[in-house]
Amino acid sequence: MTTTTASPHRTRRRVASVLYSALAVVIFIVSVFPVYWMVQTSFQPNSEIIGSDVNFWPEQFTLRNYETVFQASRAPFVPAFMNSLTITLLTVAIALVFAFLAALAVTRFRFKSRRAFILTILIVQMIPAEAVIVSMYRVLDSWSLLNTIAGLTIVYVATVLPFTIWTLRGFVNGVPVDLEEAAMIDGLSRIGAFWKITFPLLAPGLVATGVFGFIQAWNEFLLALVVNSRPEMMTLPVWLRTFLVATGTTNWAAIMAGSTLMSIPVIIFFLLVQRRMASGLVGGAVKG
Amino acid sequence: MTAPVSTIASAPTAVDGERLVTPGVQPPRFKRPRRRGGFTPYALLVPTLIALAAITFWPLLQLIIISFQEFGRAQVFGAPAPFVGFDNYAAVLADPTYWAVMGRSVAFCVVLVVVTMLAGTLVALLMTRLNAFFRVLLSVGLLLAWAMPALTATIVWGWMFDTSYGVVNFMLTNGLGLDFAQHSWLVEPLSFFFVAGLVIVWGAVPFVAFTIYAGLTQVPEEVLEAAQLDGAGAFQRFRLIIFPYLRSVFLVVTILQVIWDLKVFTQIFALQNIGGVRELTSTLGVYIYQNSLGTGEYGTGGAIAVLTVIFMLAISFLYVRQVVKEEEL
Amino acid sequence: MRKLSSATRVVALGAVAAVALAGCSAGGNEGTESGSAEIRVWLVGTDTPEEARDLLKETFEEENPGSTLVIEEQSWTGLVDLLTTSLSGSDSPDIVEVGNTQAAAFTSAGAFLDLTEHYEDLGGDDLLPGFVEAGTYEDTFYAAPLYSGSRLVFYKKDALEAAGLSVPTSLEEYISNAEELAAANPGKSGLWWPGQDWYNALPFIWENGGEIAVADGEEWDAQFSSDESIAGLEQVQQLMTTASLAPKDGNETNPQVGYCEGTTLQLSAPSWVKWSILAPADAEAPGCPEEEANLGVYALPGADGGAAQVFAGGSNVAISANSENPELALEALKIILGDEFQTIYGENGLVPAKLSLAETLGTDEVAQASTAAAGNARLTPASPKWADVEAAGLLQDFFVKIAQGGDIPSLAEQLDADIEGILNG
Repeated sequence: MTTTTASPHRTRRRVASVLYSALAVVIFIVSVFPVYWMVQTSFQPNSEIIGSDVNFWPEQFTLRNYETVFQASRAPFVPAFMNSLTITLLTVAIALVFAFLAALAVTRFRFKSRRAFILTILIVQMIPAEAVIVSMYRVLDSWSLLNTIAGLTIVYVATVLPFTIWTLRGFVNGVPVDLEEAAMIDGLSRIGAFWKITFPLLAPGLVATGVFGFIQAWNEFLLALVVNSRPEMMTLPVWLRTFLVATGTTNWAAIMAGSTLMSIPVIIFFLLVQRRMASGLVGGAVKG
Repeated sequence: MTAPVSTIASAPTAVDGERLVTPGVQPPRFKRPRRRGGFTPYALLVPTLIALAAITFWPLLQLIIISFQEFGRAQVFGAPAPFVGFDNYAAVLADPTYWAVMGRSVAFCVVLVVVTMLAGTLVALLMTRLNAFFRVLLSVGLLLAWAMPALTATIVWGWMFDTSYGVVNFMLTNGLGLDFAQHSWLVEPLSFFFVAGLVIVWGAVPFVAFTIYAGLTQVPEEVLEAAQLDGAGAFQRFRLIIFPYLRSVFLVVTILQVIWDLKVFTQIFALQNIGGVRELTSTLGVYIYQNSLGTGEYGTGGAIAVLTVIFMLAISFLYVRQVVKEEEL
Repeated sequence: MRKLSSATRVVALGAVAAVALAGCSAGGNEGTESGSAEIRVWLVGTDTPEEARDLLKETFEEENPGSTLVIEEQSWTGLVDLLTTSLSGSDSPDIVEVGNTQAAAFTSAGAFLDLTEHYEDLGGDDLLPGFVEAGTYEDTFYAAPLYSGSRLVFYKKDALEAAGLSVPTSLEEYISNAEELAAANPGKSGLWWPGQDWYNALPFIWENGGEIAVADGEEWDAQFSSDESIAGLEQVQQLMTTASLAPKDGNETNPQVGYCEGTTLQLSAPSWVKWSILAPADAEAPGCPEEEANLGVYALPGADGGAAQVFAGGSNVAISANSENPELALEALKIILGDEFQTIYGENGLVPAKLSLAETLGTDEVAQASTAAAGNARLTPASPKWADVEAAGLLQDFFVKIAQGGDIPSLAEQLDADIEGILNG
């Protein structure tokens, strides 16, 4: 940061800087503690975590809970994981392509009902998903898409599309047409200009919007429960639910192990893209 | 992360490393050259329109139709559904529970949005004051919280606040010597919403903080320094410089928070399975679920959903109007 | 047609996409009459023992060569929602288990296959009458009994003895026992009763002469605020507040934990909780097998002695109206209601679907208590909408408030209004 400081200022600054750093550590702890708690609980035997004492560190370290969730006879982890991963990646990919094309249309072209389209995209986001589940179920049923990867993917694409278009629109707006046109003068075709000039500039935006699609599709629970009711087709949130039973015995340690496993891919994905994400977010948000 | 870019604010965009400096920070009010595209824009919209038509509009249309019908479980299995006009709407609007849920949702949403925005902004401002090490540390923490799926987050928080075996009661009792043994955090509605709010805010602050931080990095440093030399305090600098600069960022983020928080479902639904009194803790999303899938009264559920959308439209009216105005440019 | 309208084109495109996507369907549901079909059976929760599941699968596949049977386990939470959508769709499971109090929601909606002409084949009058009633709608038999189970009271023999008490013979004594146990053992539950557990409260209403709701012509009249019911509810509140240290808003999950820790001296729970309590100490959900000799069990006593009128929990089983292979499904259903399959329930402490198999329960304490309880078991109101009352969570909410010491008459009146709103709505 800046270094233009006089000496009385300097001590004040130093004190402030220590305070800020301390505050950052506190916020860090608050942010991370639940994650830590989940992970450390998952490494303890169930008999240790349900008891009058609380361990802050797995005293009897065990991998047993992970064995349990991997081998759970009613719902094994790996197929659910593969379903979730396939559906989520497909959703993100398809939604980005669709949204990208739509964002181009509304930012680069003038056409009738353009405003109506933008308004629709905004309003659609306000519909509570819980209300349309039965109707969605029937639509998928009429296409024989129940209990398929494709069915859930289509639903998720449609669910994340409005927000994705909304955000991407801001990004595409941010890239000036002049750049493209200059490239066209240099002999590139319209598509070529777009591909070579505009598209690379949009990368952070695509990443930022992709992340949202990823989180939404990865975490969605209610539709997945209803639409993919066959055990071999269930996704991770539904799989996690099989460990939560209202009566009988809840295996908290296994639930925490399951939760950890479910969170890891998202965290990895975040870490991979976070550098681009931060810059991307502004671009999308800025252009209302 | 690098130090804030001294932005070339006048140019619409500039590429600095991999950072895309967007034009909106200092909104350029120039007319965007938009082409008449003939058939092309429609072609570009086709995939989106097909997807939305099939999965969003068609079910939405059915929802609206159902909201005017007597539509229960028997109708799901093929019984004819008689039209009942506005009966469902009348029944919902006359139901004190609906108004209680509505009031609760709005109040909860307001608190959530205010707290989230405030906390997010403060964290973002804090990030600009940190050295690289602490900034990365803080970012990693926020990132982890953000990446945690809502369902697992709620389960974990619920577990931490567990009446008998939760770490919170344990720490309050054994650490601070308070009597929190066997204290139920979910049984009192206010306390329930405190926990629910904690889960939601905890998960939402990172998004707000990152977004605003990214915006802050683009506020020209020299303007802030000049203001400081003129004797403007921190608060004044925020009010007079930063806020106007980031107005549109704040607006978008706030609107998104309002939409998301008013519809909040997963966290409340999952917490209600752990404890608490459903009737006193249901918010709009959960209430719609209970009234359609839960009790099989799809007609009523549909009416509630339609009313909710209308309500959301009403409160985001100003924003929508601004969008429309901008689109006229 | 030379030129397609744009609408037609959109539709055509959508259709192509749909067909293409359908190609990657999970498959497995292309049933045929030739016998090479897959029958999907939905069992709920973990009540049905592993042994019974294996038996069903093996027997069915042996009797119907070429066909397979898959058991898919669903969870009780949100079951009604899931069944509503799944049974109405084309990828419906063939056979489903449904809670006996939930059955009416589906029999009345036409979700199940009419089994009237197979009534005799499935067991006839030997089937548990209350459950046959639950599975019958407008004189048509849709859902057969699967098993029944009433709640039993588990207790620590040494604790009861130390307090100078004996197994209660009347409801009064049961209440005073629990209170005395709690008083004699500070920090422990004389009767562990989490607030959401409403099944345990019904006997108190019935034993005091109250009802849940009575049919009054077409209308239902909810009865929680009647004088008799309130007398019972007062007893419930007394027990919940003075004898129980369980979370006031907790559910009945993990009853074995407190018991094994020693903080729960008595609890009322389904019979299989015995196995949770006696699970090995290193099991995933550990129990305390060393308590076996100390674990006592009795059936809840009634107000005038004998067994109380308890809630008959349990399940019905039915064939989906949308089953693609109803004949094969019927074959599987016959195995489920067969003596061999049902005996396994009996051996595991659940009441089998047939009266003639009652003795399979055996003669140990649990069995005797089960038989005693089953003899006086009662059901919730026989309304198709009762399932919705349960799904709305009204009763959980109500008893959580009771457990917190809420005002009974006003709460009961509100509950009655809410229940009537659903049943008559």
